[in-house]
Amino acid sequence: MTRVVDANSTVEFDELAEKHGSGLLLAYFWTTWSDQCQQMTQVVEELSKELPQVLCVKVEAESVPEISLRYEVTAVPTFIFIKNKQKIHRVDGAKAAELTKKVRHHADMNASPPPPLPVLNDKPKEDLNTRLKNLISSSSCMLFMKGTPTEPKCGFSRQIVEILNKRNIDYATFDILEDNEVRQGLKKYSDWPTYPQLYHDGELMGGLDIVKEMDEAGEIESTLPIKQSLDERLKSLINKAPVMLFMKGSPDEPRCGFSRTICGILKDEGIKFHSFDILEDNEVRQGLKKFSNWPTYPQLYSKGELIGGLDIVKELQESGELKEMIED
Amino acid sequence: MAITSEGLEKKLREELECTHVELVDESGGCGAKFSALIVSNKFEGKPLLQRHRMVNACLAEELKSIHAFSMKTLTPAKWEEQQGKS
Repeated sequence: MTRVVDANSTVEFDELAEKHGSGLLLAYFWTTWSDQCQQMTQVVEELSKELPQVLCVKVEAESVPEISLRYEVTAVPTFIFIKNKQKIHRVDGAKAAELTKKVRHHADMNASPPPPLPVLNDKPKEDLNTRLKNLISSSSCMLFMKGTPTEPKCGFSRQIVEILNKRNIDYATFDILEDNEVRQGLKKYSDWPTYPQLYHDGELMGGLDIVKEMDEAGEIESTLPIKQSLDERLKSLINKAPVMLFMKGSPDEPRCGFSRTICGILKDEGIKFHSFDILEDNEVRQGLKKFSNWPTYPQLYSKGELIGGLDIVKELQESGELKEMIED
Repeated sequence: MAITSEGLEKKLREELECTHVELVDESGGCGAKFSALIVSNKFEGKPLLQRHRMVNACLAEELKSIHAFSMKTLTPAKWEEQQGKS
């Protein structure tokens, strides 16, 4: 008995959800052309053998757009977990391990506690000093603090964050309250007894007092990296290569039909291009829509100028103007 | 509220003074996938990018509930020329 079925219409889908009630329904949004989906179909089939109580419903995302719209599915593969006709979880992309873990978890009706944490002992333990060294250098400007920039848990940490934010510094943080080993270890490693601690290019700059002093002397901006504004970032991205395509997925693994088609056209025309996967960066995804006043993806740029979306590229190809327009 | 071809066509004709609009509901009736051919005098002298922006602005509300929308934008002269060919 197979528990993988297809839903070819909204009505069919809703009937299946109705019938399955409080059991786990895994809605799997796929397309015929995606290699990632082919892999994930096998994963889903394996899962359904292991967990026959789970109903796996395959939805061809492009042919049943209403369901895709309902669950805000704009790329494949996407998995929506449903119980009692309500969405309870989602997994975006071909993440077999994460999907398997989440399905096993939600398949158990009484599963409220999360699955036990993996046992750390069987993993070779990274030497603490190596770990600290890597942490300190994990970003050009690194702040070890109590809490997070949005929720500092100590007045000194709050003040140092305020200064860095005011000066528009590009920094990353580590919350020492979450990791006692790091908390104690770093004090010894850097021979500095308190937090916060600010590092630049792997070197300790100091604590709050030093940063305050630097701020008063007007030295912060000349020493630490300044955060690029989103506009500047977008501008440098669209100019990263002579021809830039902002798409869902990559040319080898497109995750939306429009993105796939536009890659095909560029290839057919022999146009070399670089691509950026907007699914991997929501700031760029939302920002570029506003920046270029263009609401959808894919977006094609030539020398930093927006050419347009798929419809325009298609039209330009049909009229034979595409290559010329891009090479001008 | 489901989006219909008729509703979209009406709005396009009124706001963009379209002389010809063809809408195809490719969703099988649920109103989530359309393709459109839009002919308007307002497109005259404007690059494709600007034409698409005009349509996107005109249908901004509706596009929120449409999963996929593709369009072709033509000036009346170009439209007639294409008609002549086929």
